[in-house]
Amino acid sequence: MPESSSTFELTQIDETFWEISAPARPDMRVPARVFADGELAQAITRDESLGQLQNVATLPGVVGAALAMPDIHQGYGFPVGGVAAMELPDGVVSPGGVGYDINCGVRLLALPLTESELGDRREAFVHEIARSVPAGAGKGGGRSRDRADLERVLREGSSVLGSDDDVERTESHGCLPGADPDAVSERAKERGRGQLGTMGSGNHFVEVQRVDRVLDPAAEPFGLREGQVTVLIHSGSRGLGHQVCTDYVKLMDEAMRRYGIELPDRQLACCPASSPEGQAYLGAMAASANFAWTNRQAIADAVRQAVGSVLGRQAAAETRQVYDVAHNVAKEEEYDGRRVLVHRKGATRAFPAGSGEIPEAYRDVGQPVFIPGSMGTASYVLAGEAGSMTRSFGTTCHGAGRTLSRTAARKRIAGSDLRRELEAQGIVVRCPSPKGLAEEAPFAYKDVERVVEVVERAGLARRVARLVPLGVVKG
Amino acid sequence: MHEWESHTGEAQLHVVADTEEEVFGEAVDALGRLVELDRRGEPARRQISLQAPDRASLLVELLGELVFLADTEGFVGDRAEIRLEGDRLEARIDGRLTRVDPLVKAATYHDLRFERSGEVWDARVVLDV
Repeated sequence: MPESSSTFELTQIDETFWEISAPARPDMRVPARVFADGELAQAITRDESLGQLQNVATLPGVVGAALAMPDIHQGYGFPVGGVAAMELPDGVVSPGGVGYDINCGVRLLALPLTESELGDRREAFVHEIARSVPAGAGKGGGRSRDRADLERVLREGSSVLGSDDDVERTESHGCLPGADPDAVSERAKERGRGQLGTMGSGNHFVEVQRVDRVLDPAAEPFGLREGQVTVLIHSGSRGLGHQVCTDYVKLMDEAMRRYGIELPDRQLACCPASSPEGQAYLGAMAASANFAWTNRQAIADAVRQAVGSVLGRQAAAETRQVYDVAHNVAKEEEYDGRRVLVHRKGATRAFPAGSGEIPEAYRDVGQPVFIPGSMGTASYVLAGEAGSMTRSFGTTCHGAGRTLSRTAARKRIAGSDLRRELEAQGIVVRCPSPKGLAEEAPFAYKDVERVVEVVERAGLARRVARLVPLGVVKG
Repeated sequence: MHEWESHTGEAQLHVVADTEEEVFGEAVDALGRLVELDRRGEPARRQISLQAPDRASLLVELLGELVFLADTEGFVGDRAEIRLEGDRLEARIDGRLTRVDPLVKAATYHDLRFERSGEVWDARVVLDV
């Protein structure tokens, strides 16, 4: 395999856009471009993420540029925060460009009460969510599905569990077309069977929040007002999606030689989207994405039950879903008359006002996007802007982005100390693993305020509301 | 011996051992300690047979199998008896059924290494967490 090299010159194009030109490496087909301000750009050069972005720029069929959002950080294969559009029908699909957690994403629920109305029931509410939403491994703890039931979830997605209103307020209506349960291995199905309604671990969470500030009139159609309580859910396709990616990375690692594809990183294993292997993966990926949307639906149902138990049935009935967005997925979209397969790995679709792909209620203001900050810091609700369609294949960032490894975070703080610090800020914390808590310490992430400011200045999305944490449940 | 090296987004395992078999045994131990939430549990044994074109790919396969067992059964390995023959690996793993952290999604091919380095074997694998 060719050797990759991470030597490059990062050139500033405008105040929020940087480029490594294509001639930087002989195997790059297009430039590598990053949205960042000066400080973030400097921080990005400290790990291997830009070398990984250059590797993405070598993929056959890549169009325009390999792009990265300001929350970019080192991953495996693609960097986290990476975006690449492949020309259809014969550009490649790369399972590693979607990631193991297919359709990892976030869903925001808006409760019909304010923080002061929640009052001293806050701890009981967070506790009830922790009890209702398991992390899920081994014995699982999620909703068990028999074979026929699981196939329906894989084929139909959110609508298996969700109300019409919830489904309407979910990206792609919670169901990617072309889902093929037969392309999902038995091992993947076995991993997923007991995991619906489970959160997972690592950076997955359910967070109870308060709308701290409304920053744009789009908050009104989104149903958000200052002081209001919200719940943000971050999870994905669990073991089912992880196994699907594992299976297809291995398959494509073996198959790509037949297509004459050579890559600088084996983890980028890919095949033409039109090939039998590419088509099988896209069918399995869509099925996994549908599983993930149903998983977040099951978690949302559990949160509503917790609302009912602690805050009353009326509050549960009036808890509305604002939206649900995917941030690890490949989708067929059209830009400048070209059909492309947009890989988003730790990046969020951000379609602007007027798009037929977003709910009618939001069509005048743009698609909602949720940007979780790190634990203990603010999160943001954004709305997609027109610049995303011309500059980033309809995409914006997905989070704050890690800046410190998990090992380094653990060296700097003990989980018990971090728990005390968060509780001192008035944040209720439920997490079974002190080690896992320490790994997600706020200082391990970039400043979310800076990240969202960059995407706003770049014209990809604008800030609509700032949310602050009241309680967090981690897997 | 093994150590978890610095990696911004994921978990990077580095193993150094005297023999190829010990590299695999050390990786079993490293993953078990990473995902277990409880040192107790019901004793259990699993037999694993794998085939892959090279040692590095076998390491990814073995870790993938252990992630699957942790995810579906709550099995974590404590000790492994490894036999390598050509492109095949046979493992007898003694461990426990216990509470596990569903942290690890998969073992990846990114920056994968399994090579002789002087007198020892040196391996590196990145896990998606």
